[in-house]
Amino acid sequence: MKHLTQEELIICYYNEPERAQHVAHLADCEKCQTELGRLAQLLDRVPALEVPEPEADYEHRVWQRLGWRLRGEKKRERAWTRWAAIAAMAMIAFVSGLLLRREAKRPMNEQTQVASGQAGIQATADARQERVRDRILFVFVGNHFDQSERILVELTNLQVTDDTDISKERERAGALLASNRLYRRTAQDRGEDNVAALLEELEPVLLQIARAPSDVSAAELRKMQERVKAKGLVLKLRVVRADVRANAAATKQPNV
Amino acid sequence: MEPTDIELVERARGGDDDAFRQLVERHTRPIYRTAYRITGNSADADDVVQETFLRAYRALASFDARASFTTWLHRIGVNCSLDLLDSRKRRDARIESTDDLSSYEGHEASQERIVLGVQMQKAMAAALTTMSGNERTAFVLRHFEGVPLEEIGAILGIKTNATKNTIFRAVTKLREQLQPFMGSTV
Repeated sequence: MKHLTQEELIICYYNEPERAQHVAHLADCEKCQTELGRLAQLLDRVPALEVPEPEADYEHRVWQRLGWRLRGEKKRERAWTRWAAIAAMAMIAFVSGLLLRREAKRPMNEQTQVASGQAGIQATADARQERVRDRILFVFVGNHFDQSERILVELTNLQVTDDTDISKERERAGALLASNRLYRRTAQDRGEDNVAALLEELEPVLLQIARAPSDVSAAELRKMQERVKAKGLVLKLRVVRADVRANAAATKQPNV
Repeated sequence: MEPTDIELVERARGGDDDAFRQLVERHTRPIYRTAYRITGNSADADDVVQETFLRAYRALASFDARASFTTWLHRIGVNCSLDLLDSRKRRDARIESTDDLSSYEGHEASQERIVLGVQMQKAMAAALTTMSGNERTAFVLRHFEGVPLEEIGAILGIKTNATKNTIFRAVTKLREQLQPFMGSTV
């Protein structure tokens, strides 16, 4: 008698439509019944793998963050389309001008000049908006790096004892975590690779601090301190923050 | 009457952001649950949710309205989860093990979960880490979400027979890890 394979037993356990092909054999075969019983014993006892239910307004928060990113995408798309249109208009104006001058020996069409002039004004406004957005990002990220550095420095300077109270650091790390993820995504979207890479490196450390018990044991505290030192995070934060501040200053306009 | 997913997709394609917002609100939690089970923690699951809807928004034009929006979205969510697992693997290899992080995740455990058997939970988590991305996803979708094999195949982009093999390999790995808890009867 040919017995059911493990794959067929799995099919039977999960009650897939193919199970019907094996029902008759299962009814007669004691060995396969035992095997299926063992498999069921294993799979029935697989822990439920609890999923912590997100808070009641989770959908709303997801949409808020997503809406923010989508608006950014749309603006970039519009800006790109506008730039392409402006470039095309400028090219048309230029070529038309050449043709008109060469063939008709007439002055350049005034309306084309006006269109070209308007396009130029629009392009300048767009570029200024982009600079403002960049500057806002750099300023916010610079402050975020400041606050993160302060937490890490305080943490690494804590005296290692059992039951050290790190509740304040925990709370601040927790607050920085959400903005860290937001800035990382924005930096990625805007092609700020260095900033995004540092934020990515910072995130698990902030998470570790935020999730630590408030009366952390000496061993856990030492582990956190070693982790921060091993990554050279404080130094990296200072270096990238200096870059970010320089970029913020570079994008600053007198009329912004 | 509530608009269907397909109606909302059509409106979203036409530039109606509110329609897309309704889709997001409708599907956020199922995507979060699947992502959590694949990635194993809430921060990653949250990232996956964001990335899934962002990719879905960008790809709305390519969605075939004859297909199921839920399956399509789940496929994107699963791919995002697998991408995240890949990048996490690369990052861990580059920096360090995340063992300490997973132990901090343990602080979220409820009292009930502790009573029910922390050791078994750990063995289960260990079993999941030995599985490949596809094995973990196929097992999670079949065992916890009750998704039929054929649909899992569609989500993973593999044939039904390959899906069966994938789940078989996942169960074999699970059996190896959970064997000590089964006593002498397994």
